[in-house]
Amino acid sequence: MKGWVTVTAVEASTTGIRAIEAEAVPTRFARGWHCLGLSGQFKDGKPHTVNAFGQKLVVFQSGDGGLNVLDAYCRHMGADLSKGRIKGDELACPFHDWRWGGDGRCKKIPYARRVPLRARTAAWTTMEQDGLLFVWNDPEGNPPQPEVAIPRIEGATRDDWTDWVWQEIVVETNCREVMDNVVDMAHFFYVHYSFPTYFKNIFEGHVATQIMNGLSRPDARPPGKGPRMLGNSSVASYHGPSFMIDDLTYHYDDMDLKSVLINAHYPIDGNSFMLHSGIIVQHSDKLPREGAEAMAHKLGEFILKGFDQDVEIWKHKTRIDNPLLCEEDGPVYQLRRWYEQFYVDVADVRPEMVERFEFELDTTRPVEAWKQEVEANLARRAAAGRQA
Amino acid sequence: MTIRADNRLLDGAPMQPLDCHQCGAEVEVRKASWHQTSVQWSSQALGACLERRAAHSGDGGGPDHGLFPGCTALRESIVRAALDGAIPVPEE
Ligand code: FES
Ligand SMILES: [Fe+2]
Ligand SMILES: [Zn+2]
Repeated sequence: MKGWVTVTAVEASTTGIRAIEAEAVPTRFARGWHCLGLSGQFKDGKPHTVNAFGQKLVVFQSGDGGLNVLDAYCRHMGADLSKGRIKGDELACPFHDWRWGGDGRCKKIPYARRVPLRARTAAWTTMEQDGLLFVWNDPEGNPPQPEVAIPRIEGATRDDWTDWVWQEIVVETNCREVMDNVVDMAHFFYVHYSFPTYFKNIFEGHVATQIMNGLSRPDARPPGKGPRMLGNSSVASYHGPSFMIDDLTYHYDDMDLKSVLINAHYPIDGNSFMLHSGIIVQHSDKLPREGAEAMAHKLGEFILKGFDQDVEIWKHKTRIDNPLLCEEDGPVYQLRRWYEQFYVDVADVRPEMVERFEFELDTTRPVEAWKQEVEANLARRAAAGRQA
Repeated sequence: MTIRADNRLLDGAPMQPLDCHQCGAEVEVRKASWHQTSVQWSSQALGACLERRAAHSGDGGGPDHGLFPGCTALRESIVRAALDGAIPVPEE
């Protein structure tokens, strides 16, 4: 059947049908810090299984209190260390009780006189901050650079803020889909029922930012009593390929509500990822401790509903490398150019992947005002021309 | 994965060079409408921008983690260029 594909291509070009193009999903996983969720859940004295970066990992707390991440498969005969037990500073394999340290080295074999050479497994660099556990992924095996550190979240450790309300869901698609949300202005209206009046993206270095002021759509607001949500202002940045901090203020008719929203994920494999959302809310006069806690839970549910709306789309859509954009769309190509830096070796990061790019949509000044000013300019110029 | 070109830059107006009236930084600018503006900086332009330098002499802390939202002088330069036609704005 030689020429089958060619014929299709010719037909496509004569009919003017645009083809959807998509390369296979990348075989490597992004370089950067990835959040594994609330660190407290890993401190129950048991090892935990985490499927990430196409592998099975084990998270365990050693005697010094630190959290460690190792490849889950024991280098002795391949048993799953996350089914083992923590014994003192080490993780004991369920099969023959070999003891593994957080540094990836086998420290002891209870039935053997000595540990054989090369008894070392993969250990991942971890970091605990603001109640969250992070793991560093780098296909080149380099340690994390200080420039890409995850910033502190002030409210996370303060008494006048709630605790994290944290949620996790598995999404069965490649994680590029969630990144596209950073720039996809129009979907906020059609999928999430909000109405952006100001929107800005800034990509620079390893940070991608979305600034958005939105109005709640009256047609989407549930009728009823209680404070009415008028809109929100949000400044959200991905610090690296997977961890977004969103300083998010909700505007109600009688108050402002300050919150921090985390939107994070880690790849399970090329075709699925774990999506995390976390929220903390600041107490206020109108919303003291209990009220703020209740609000954080309510917002958590609201945000989860937003995820469900995205997931419903992702589940059924196809991967597309050549989206056909109209002038009213956001900078999808420029975002993907930025995102690509995490999928190449550090030496291959090109200037255009990290150089600052801005995209702004500001509808607060009506087009009429712009037009009047242009008219005035032209009139002034014409008058000056007559004088000369 | 290959990095692809934005179809709007291939089929519509390209990015155009523009100097900031304050610091002289040369950036590339495009307007898709009166409401929309794109700016491509080079590292050289970013180094020349005075407001950017002032913003980064601080500790970079604060709730938005040292984010530089943009240069107001450049913003003005773009508005001027749009109003006098140096940067074209497609008709609605
Ligand atoms: S397989 Fe782990 S101790 Fe034998
Ligand atoms: Fe979304
Ligand atoms: Zn400037």
